Amino acid sequence: MIRHEVVVVGAGLAGQRAALAAVEAGRDVAVVSKLHPLRSHSGAAQGGINAAVGAEDSVDTHIYDTVKGSDYLGDQDAIEFFCREAGPTVVEMEHFGTIFSRAPDGSLARRAFGGAGFPRTIYAADRTGLALLQGLWERLGTEEFTLYSEWDLTDLLVRDGSVQGLVAFDRRRGEFEMIGARSVVLATGPAGRIYGHTTNAHSCTGDGLAVAYDAGAYLKDMEFVQFHPTALLESSILITEGARGEGGYLRNSAGERFMSRYAPHVLELASRDVVSRAIVTEVLAGRGFHGPYGDYVHLELMHLGKEKVESRLQEICDYSRHFAGIDPVTEPIPVYPAQHYMMGGIGTNIRGETNLPGLYAAGEAACVSIHGANRLGGNSLLETLVFGKQAGVAAAEHAERATASALDPADLDRSVAPIRAWSSRSDGEDPSTLRTEMQRTMDRYVGIYRSEADLLEGLRQIRALRARFERVRVVDRSRVFNLNLTDAVETGHMLELAETIVVGAYARTESRGAHSRTDYPKRDDARWMRHTLAKKAADGPQLSYSPVAYTRWEPKERVY
Amino acid sequence: MADTTISATFDVYRFDPAVDRSARYQRYTLDLAPHTPVLTALLRIRAEVDPTLSLRYSCRSAICGSCAMQVNSKSRLACETQIGPEIARHGRIVVEPMHNQPVLRDLVVDQTPFWREYERVEPHLKLDPARPMPADRPTSMTPEQVERFKETPRCIACAACYSSCPAVEADPEFPGPMALAKLYRYVVDPRDTATRERLVGIQAGGLWLCLRCHLCTDACPKDVRPSERIRDLKELAIAAQGATEPGSRHAVGFKESIRGAGLLNEMQLVRRTYGPLGLFGQLGQGLRIWRKKPEVVRRPHRIEKVEEIEKIYAALDTGSEAPK
Repeated sequence: MIRHEVVVVGAGLAGQRAALAAVEAGRDVAVVSKLHPLRSHSGAAQGGINAAVGAEDSVDTHIYDTVKGSDYLGDQDAIEFFCREAGPTVVEMEHFGTIFSRAPDGSLARRAFGGAGFPRTIYAADRTGLALLQGLWERLGTEEFTLYSEWDLTDLLVRDGSVQGLVAFDRRRGEFEMIGARSVVLATGPAGRIYGHTTNAHSCTGDGLAVAYDAGAYLKDMEFVQFHPTALLESSILITEGARGEGGYLRNSAGERFMSRYAPHVLELASRDVVSRAIVTEVLAGRGFHGPYGDYVHLELMHLGKEKVESRLQEICDYSRHFAGIDPVTEPIPVYPAQHYMMGGIGTNIRGETNLPGLYAAGEAACVSIHGANRLGGNSLLETLVFGKQAGVAAAEHAERATASALDPADLDRSVAPIRAWSSRSDGEDPSTLRTEMQRTMDRYVGIYRSEADLLEGLRQIRALRARFERVRVVDRSRVFNLNLTDAVETGHMLELAETIVVGAYARTESRGAHSRTDYPKRDDARWMRHTLAKKAADGPQLSYSPVAYTRWEPKERVY
Repeated sequence: MADTTISATFDVYRFDPAVDRSARYQRYTLDLAPHTPVLTALLRIRAEVDPTLSLRYSCRSAICGSCAMQVNSKSRLACETQIGPEIARHGRIVVEPMHNQPVLRDLVVDQTPFWREYERVEPHLKLDPARPMPADRPTSMTPEQVERFKETPRCIACAACYSSCPAVEADPEFPGPMALAKLYRYVVDPRDTATRERLVGIQAGGLWLCLRCHLCTDACPKDVRPSERIRDLKELAIAAQGATEPGSRHAVGFKESIRGAGLLNEMQLVRRTYGPLGLFGQLGQGLRIWRKKPEVVRRPHRIEKVEEIEKIYAALDTGSEAPK
């Protein structure tokens, strides 16, 4: 039986940073990941990482921008801590080896980003996530720890309310294993693949959120789903906000820079929720372009000049050319909003602690909450590192004092029996079909604009899919890299999470940040300035609410 | 973006170690738009036709490096290879696992050797305790210093280069293109203090086993141009240490021979490469060559206007750059 003191699940930036912190604290650490760490979705982050480091900028402005961007749902104590850690975090990553883009004087180059009062987004061309992921992985590689690469998380082991380890499936050997742990850190990223139109990688299926929810952890603010304004048409591949930060324009089919109607002061650099709604509104008003792959607007970079576009937005040029046959130097890029980020996640405090002893979460899998109802661009990479480290430190401290309880082999059988049943059925539901239908439901009924009628229909469909999932069937009989089995595990996880999103969105009768109800178009601070907490119950998610932490910033109307 | 579809035939390599003694090819035919990526097609096969097909994939946007495979015999990322041009050129799309790594199942290979070579170049900053990083602030680095990394930070470790490399196939001592491009990235890093140690290590550590075929550069989806970085490493290694290995001595000898005479002096080159004693080791080979092509072993004459050669050298030789 495998046993470690601290087991981190997920090897993107948050997981790696947690692992590094726990190793530095002297603990025996294992990292379990469904992908090789260098293939993590953190590497797909493009635009940059926020830190108020220049003399002209200030940490207070970063805090204010984040609070305002969150539509006053972010916890201000957590945001203050987060923004203060930004400078040291970026310096640390630079010292670890990350190659950032530079200003002529040798300092870190910075670019403008949406919703920010100052150009404070530090970047590495348009592949900042990749640069950080390489820098951190190569730093972590100098430490001693155990890597379980290409293992799928299927369950948490809980005894007397505290987490004792997990169950995971080694794709290569086709074996389920129990991994005992005094502390488990979930850094498994988002569940963006609940939606069909998403910028997220195929691996983003919310495995950590689902097993935590099953084990009794709270999922917080799940209804807050960010739609990135500029995803490439058809493939939904991300076109970084940095494209607008470098001066890109959005235009409708009448040739207008339509953002002047929605954000007269900052135009394209308004917060993401604002820009995404603006694009949808333009299209609904008949001012979009139409094509075989749907409606869209234009993102124009042509006026920036070939040299700037090709040097600062090198990957964007490649994506546009390879995936849309468009050269952004000479042509507009067809874009439309797509699911991009989950503000919600496993509820934690700033130490990454959940409501279950021994269980920690960080990164996009977690909800601290610093993003509230809408995340600012450039804050997610920072979040992975700041709170990955906090969770790693806290998990290591807990592991030092906690006693390890013996694992019971019968627990493995109990945990795995339902999954084994999927393979012994002679007839049943195909996991890919269920997944595709779930994605259509979420795209159609739980998108940027929501209403009671749509959410009820969405909930009905998701519950019907969950019922059908009870009869899911795995037809692949091979033990080695059985992706049919992985598909089924992931689809089960996502259906469970989809229900928490719809239930949370239905209950929240207001519009705040990324949650826009056409039947409740106003923010309602008196009733809804609070976090949604979803806990698993027999008949679906049971909702409760918790207050938002305040320090210095009174809620105001958001104008960009 | 056309919306007309074409009928696309895929012949996909299938192998399940539990049931198959050897690989087989399975044919799937789908109607798809010509700009459909090969990965999208394979995922449609998985979702609609055959859920047992196994492959690695994740981001579908050429940034995670998961889906490198052989597409019509070239190492490519399946996610950014469109089916239209492949069908137009080859009539069908043959999809096979990467080379130089054992097949685990279908299109999934065992990447252990690839990652081992990556680890072997010690891909992390090595710091001299006497030269600590500046406290509480980033290292100063100019845009010109960032330029020196060339495209190596774009590497996504997809192993397309490793799969295409004949030197990897032929010689277990060769680290492979990706590992050497990674080494280059640390050699030119102004923060790293082990530059000379790294160059000395790699000069004797397989650097000269590269066959200079440039297939890695052809295969690389991110324009890292590993073969050019290998060339850069060779120049830097000779500049740091002089030519210490047969490979580097051969390169320097070649250059000097042409410079002096305008033609290659094979005898001199053999002596320079293997040393005076090593010359005996090549005696049998030399005799065989002498019997067939005696002019090769004879001392060549100087060409006319050898001074023109010097002008070419002067134009090319900008002086080996200092490592940092």
